[in-house]
Amino acid sequence: MITARDDILKRSKQRARAAGDHPPAWRSRRQFDDLSRRFVDSLAAVHGEACVVPSLEAAFARLGDLLAEIGAGRVVVNDEPPFSGVDMAARWPDIEWHVAGRSAGDLRAFCAAADVGLSSADAALAETGTLVVTSGPGRSRLVTLLVSVHIALVPVSRLTADLFTWTAGRSTPPPAMITLISGPSKTADIEQVMAIGVHGPKRFIVILYGDED
Amino acid sequence: MSSVSFKDFRTSAARAIADVRLQSAIDGATLTFRTGRVKALADLPDVDGLRDQLKAIRSATLARLADHLEMFEQQARAAGSHVYWARDAAEANRFVLDIAQQHGAKLAVKSKSMATEEIHLNAELQNAGITPVETDLGEWIIQLAGEPPSHIIGPALHKTREQVAELFSREVGRTLPPDDIPMLTAEARRLLREQFLAADIGISGANIGVAETGSVVLVTNEGNGRLVTSAPPVHIAIMGIEKIAPTWDDAAVWLALLARSSTGQPMSCYTTAITGPARDGDPDGPREVYIVLLDNGRADLVGSDYDEILQCIRCGACLNACPVYQEVGGHSYGVPYSGPVGAVLMPLLYGLAENEALPHASSLCGACLDVCPARIDLPRLLLKLRAEEVREHMLTPQERLLENAVAFVLRHPRLYRALTGLGRIFQRPLARGGLLRLPRRLNPAGERQLPALAKRSFRSMWNEIKDGQL
Repeated sequence: MITARDDILKRSKQRARAAGDHPPAWRSRRQFDDLSRRFVDSLAAVHGEACVVPSLEAAFARLGDLLAEIGAGRVVVNDEPPFSGVDMAARWPDIEWHVAGRSAGDLRAFCAAADVGLSSADAALAETGTLVVTSGPGRSRLVTLLVSVHIALVPVSRLTADLFTWTAGRSTPPPAMITLISGPSKTADIEQVMAIGVHGPKRFIVILYGDED
Repeated sequence: MSSVSFKDFRTSAARAIADVRLQSAIDGATLTFRTGRVKALADLPDVDGLRDQLKAIRSATLARLADHLEMFEQQARAAGSHVYWARDAAEANRFVLDIAQQHGAKLAVKSKSMATEEIHLNAELQNAGITPVETDLGEWIIQLAGEPPSHIIGPALHKTREQVAELFSREVGRTLPPDDIPMLTAEARRLLREQFLAADIGISGANIGVAETGSVVLVTNEGNGRLVTSAPPVHIAIMGIEKIAPTWDDAAVWLALLARSSTGQPMSCYTTAITGPARDGDPDGPREVYIVLLDNGRADLVGSDYDEILQCIRCGACLNACPVYQEVGGHSYGVPYSGPVGAVLMPLLYGLAENEALPHASSLCGACLDVCPARIDLPRLLLKLRAEEVREHMLTPQERLLENAVAFVLRHPRLYRALTGLGRIFQRPLARGGLLRLPRRLNPAGERQLPALAKRSFRSMWNEIKDGQL
């Protein structure tokens, strides 16, 4: 008996039109003079928040201001640069910390009740104010998802123009999960009225920091 | 099986047209989507070139669909996903139920998926004692209301805030005020969050399957696509076999046009690519990932007169542009696809004879072709379906007689002039202010207006102009 697989493949082949060459990859038409400027503006346009600071130290200082402003009591952080090796609990002793993949206790339950989730990103697309986050050792999916506020610290060297420059520079094979984040979670499903923070974070904040001289 | 006869379509269209609230909801939503689309595309350099590229990618991909599907399967398996092939709804549903039962699942969270609407998966899950919970806010609303989606992108756009408040109030067991939409959203977040964390399996559709890496791409705004694929230990994706992009470069073209064409966003909030289950060292993520490749009539369309419809990326732009959709609403087309794409796809998936009315649910104005990111010639496909109806003798004898009579009259100019002359006399009782009031049977909603025959025909005036009499 012919399997469903072979049957489907046979039928999608038997009448298929003559195949021409697959079109060559589309190349980005974008040239931004200032990638970080464009990133900040694009993210602001979709209700995200972003700022550019000169150094990693300045980024941590800005992070401290934000944690204070939010009044964060529980913060979960991915075990990845620039956070790995930093003693967050020593720097912010009033906060209850959870390091993904390292701290004892249930990561998921902690994330669900956390005020803030901290991550970095593999890439940042200037055109749309998009961060590319991935899964991997120390890199949790829920840290950037279940929390009320997601704050990302990203070196400016990770900025790229758009989707096309990102896929052109992509390395294979991909991790189990890649997510392109463009702003906080939102919906317009009730009478087309925009509501922020449906299932994902209600605030999405990106701190771009200088890492090049 | 969805079926829409002429009578069904007329009845539901008349009901929709008479519903003032529905009309304003559709007008508002489609206008927002349309203006958003125009603005978002205007920001893009060489958008016409990009749309040509999408067309070229989709058409070249479908010409080698079998090869790309084999590559997808091979790469998905290499990444640790299980891949199943389903010829029809019954096979797809059986796979999902088998997987769910194998994992002892009682609760399934779902992210919005037209493919699962197509196979009526929720009903099957329920019958098997598994509770499906839709987690896209719009899908959840219509699930609570027990209704099908009325728009590919905005499934609940026909619902008012009062109706939503009533549905949510029933769920939380206290009365929620309808005037606070952020509060209604917050209630949904709270209730659905519990479901996400308790669910045994997550079920999603797939916007794109990237063949070169075996990745399933999901696009959502709310984050439900992420949660469904992150929180439960098992993820099942149901993907139409036509949703293949051979490479990530191709997928980028698709993604650059998808959100801009549908909601007018540069990118949806979340675009997630799943490549197999969680790896060693991942702090979280599903332990098992299953992909069900759904044929359900698609393979037979490859190479047919209608295969252009397989290029569709389900953005919904054609619904928003269609003057007929704007009047009759999504439910007039049957379940689940509506608008111009539905008018083509539904007869192809569920039978032309059963859906005879749908190819006629169009004025052939071409607005759908104008906005389609893949430049699918929907008017051509609709005309082809209509021609097939004539060829297959699907018309009623009365209609055939009438059409033959009209063809005869149009071939004989003298007869045509004589008959229009008579028409001018006999239309008098029906004509008011240059318009004909049609009898109720031909004008069920009372909104249809036809111009009356002019006092004099253009031809007779033209003859006078020619002879210098005017």
